[in-house]
Amino acid sequence: MKPLASDRAFLILLAAVLAVVLLLVISIATPFGLSAYLANVIGQLAAFAVLALSLDLIWGYLGILSLGHGLFFGIGGYVVAMHLLKHSHEVTGKVPDFMQFMGWAEFPFYWTGFGFFPYALLVTAVVTLLISGVFGYVSFRSRVGGVYFAITTQALVYVAMLLMFRNDTGFGGNNGMTGFTVVFGWPIGGSRVVIAMAAVSVLMLGLTLLGCRMLLAGRFGVLMIAARDDEVRLRTLGYETLRLKLVVWCLSALIAALAGMLYVPQVGIINPRLLAPELSLEIAVWVAIGGRGHLVGAVIGAVLVNAVKFWLSVAAPELWPFILSGLIVLVVLVFPNGLVDLAKLKLVRPTGLKHMASGTPELR
Amino acid sequence: MAIQRCSQARSIQSLWLTGDWFGRLSARKGRQRSVHMMRRVFIAAILFVAVWAPSLLVAAEAGRADLMGKLCGDAASLGDVGRALVGIAADGSQDERAWATPVARAVIDRKLTCDTKGAVVISGEGSFDALTREQRVAVEGGRSPFLNLKNRALFETAVAALALRTAPDPTQRGAALRTLERQAAGLPEHLFEAAAEQESDAGLRAQMTAVAQAAALNSADPAKRIGALKRISATPDRRALTQVRALVADPAYAGDPEFKRAVDAAIATIERGITAGDVLAALYNGLSFASILFMAAIGLAVIFGLMGVINLAQGEMIMIGAYVTWMVQEGLRRLAPALLDWYLIIAIPAAFLVTAAVGIALEAILLRHLYRRPLMSLLATWAVSLFLINLVRVTFGTQNLNFVTPFYVAGGVPVIGDFIFTWNRMFAIAFAVLTLGITWGLMRLTPLGLNIRAVTQNRTMAGCIGIPVRRVDTMAFGLGSGLAGLAGLALAPIYSVNPQMGQNFIIDSFMVVVLGGVGTIVGTVVAALGIGQINVLIEPMWGAVAAKVIVLMMIIAFLQWRPEGLFAIKGRRK
Repeated sequence: MKPLASDRAFLILLAAVLAVVLLLVISIATPFGLSAYLANVIGQLAAFAVLALSLDLIWGYLGILSLGHGLFFGIGGYVVAMHLLKHSHEVTGKVPDFMQFMGWAEFPFYWTGFGFFPYALLVTAVVTLLISGVFGYVSFRSRVGGVYFAITTQALVYVAMLLMFRNDTGFGGNNGMTGFTVVFGWPIGGSRVVIAMAAVSVLMLGLTLLGCRMLLAGRFGVLMIAARDDEVRLRTLGYETLRLKLVVWCLSALIAALAGMLYVPQVGIINPRLLAPELSLEIAVWVAIGGRGHLVGAVIGAVLVNAVKFWLSVAAPELWPFILSGLIVLVVLVFPNGLVDLAKLKLVRPTGLKHMASGTPELR
Repeated sequence: MAIQRCSQARSIQSLWLTGDWFGRLSARKGRQRSVHMMRRVFIAAILFVAVWAPSLLVAAEAGRADLMGKLCGDAASLGDVGRALVGIAADGSQDERAWATPVARAVIDRKLTCDTKGAVVISGEGSFDALTREQRVAVEGGRSPFLNLKNRALFETAVAALALRTAPDPTQRGAALRTLERQAAGLPEHLFEAAAEQESDAGLRAQMTAVAQAAALNSADPAKRIGALKRISATPDRRALTQVRALVADPAYAGDPEFKRAVDAAIATIERGITAGDVLAALYNGLSFASILFMAAIGLAVIFGLMGVINLAQGEMIMIGAYVTWMVQEGLRRLAPALLDWYLIIAIPAAFLVTAAVGIALEAILLRHLYRRPLMSLLATWAVSLFLINLVRVTFGTQNLNFVTPFYVAGGVPVIGDFIFTWNRMFAIAFAVLTLGITWGLMRLTPLGLNIRAVTQNRTMAGCIGIPVRRVDTMAFGLGSGLAGLAGLALAPIYSVNPQMGQNFIIDSFMVVVLGGVGTIVGTVVAALGIGQINVLIEPMWGAVAAKVIVLMMIIAFLQWRPEGLFAIKGRRK
């Protein structure tokens, strides 16, 4: 990895992120700046970018593809939704819809304490670490990897979706949870609050970028890339790859949960659709399009794909799946490293396409 | 054959001429002793008919005239007529029922006029005399008998009872049965038995028998009730159990020890039958679920074993197979309606070849370039699946397709308890066995299968000894896709077919492949059977979702013990 000072792409992205944060802060403080709608879109994109970073960490730098990262995203989302509902209930006395639907007068016992945000934060961390830790440990210990691991994670998120579709679990069932009214004592619909949430989202994206960068720049990052490129050799040299993989896997899951916590307050709803295997696959697509193994690529991929998706879901919703599948095929066949390949492409060298497709060292 | 029939006809002719019908017949069978006996019975029967039939006819005629008289009488006598009509429905001859049907209907519709010469039924095609059926117009000054509420109910019952016996359309008979069911206790006991005996529609006959049994259970005669209990416990199901359980509250249960014993015995028998039926039903459902899993997974297993590529578009191959089946059905409907029922058989080559072609195209265009990048091939095949789903959605729409249910997959045979051996599930099972046989044969007995096995075991070595590895890949991908297409065909009559249908199978079939081990048919079979049966066993206890969760947890736990699946090819672990 290049030293920070000479990594131009990363510095430009970081500067852009900080500029957006500044712009959003200006929009809150003064009547000028971005509208609440635009800020909300930016905030959601930032949450997706954090999610893409979490997958890039494990896939791009460790070579382990997870097709179930939506599960951790969902854990963060569900916990923050529980917090918002409980908090809204405490402030306004509004009974959540799903409880009315089920005919419950009181919150189930496991909702106790969710009105207190640090507790919700703690629960997110504990649940995420528990699930990712146990699943990661049993998988990595028996050296389940590659396609097997991808498929098992997908089955995991699928099962979670089925569970959440049940109405009697106390998590909103198939309607999910919505109707949040208050966040930290402020009304959630106010334009300043919306912009503030977006600002927090983008700020978190900047911090995550920086954190991942720092992690990768050190000795730990070198080990990760070594494990990605030849795990057997690394093991033979005496490094314990199980612990390495487990730590990165859990960290990646935590970042995904953080993304979920940022995302749900901004869209104002969570339902089991978030846990559909399609979303988890899409995360991998963002990363693949942006460029695996590049933090910048993952962020740009997530922002770009989702921006196009936002725009097309209004303009031509029928067209989107075709465009997405076309993009994927293009990326896997022609630009194996995504947009990063495109950036390197010199138009004066028409053979470059083929050269890159065959010459890039490939991840297994 | 023709000669034989000819000689038979001649001998029958001679039999008639000589009048020695029984003699010849039994002589041929060598049972001379009974000849005289039978002849005597025969003669007695003829005598009986000759003497009694006219007198019966006369009696019926007199009865009809009497009824006509009462029909034009007061309310009480009208009531008698209503009861008599119900009696005719139960006991009367076919002729009598045919006579009574329009009369009863006409009384309700006030289309019957009493005049000086008797009664006239007024109908659209021309009025006729109620008694003699001769065409005639009512004499001036006639009146229609008026039904009070009580008599109206009686006549409606009579119309329904007659319809139960005489209506030509099964839906009419079904409607009549539902009307009568509610008042079964007040009707003659053998009405339903008689109706069930002559019923041609199997479903309706079962309903009639059930009503008849229920009526007999509540009859006044204890011997009849005990008889009914015995009969009812011969066909144990939940409905019978509730019927018999209700008898525990009956006063006769406390009073009559014999009746109590019979009820207790019947309850025990029925409960045993239901348990047996439930176990069999669970096994059967598990088997059919397993066969669907197997068909969805076998193509995937071949491809995965060979190339290490998980084809996320495999579910869409199933979907395409089902859509091809539908198109074959629609084509037959247009071109050869007589063959419509056989579309499931005719579509077999079409479904296989079309999906195999799609698979080969997919392999040649896309996957060929991704063999050393299995994770990327996951995304690529997902893109294909997304594309295919939306292509089909745009072309055919999102609604479920309608499939004709051919006679060979319709209905089923009730075995015991609530277990019905349904033909559509049997079709899926038989089809899976057939698929298994064909796949096994292909893999074991053909040169292609030999090559596929060789490349699966060691790709480099197979290439070195001159096996065309690339072509084997393409063919195997086509084979795997075609097998998925056949799964779609088998699913068509039992599953809702829409663009999304493949998504529901994909994860389950992955689990089968992962559990069974890579590239073994036996593993796929055993894993499909195991997952299918476990799913079906857990489902009634905790529900379908819990079953899926538990099965997945079991698979993850199992992979700890054997990471390469049940039947892995032995090799070095990486």
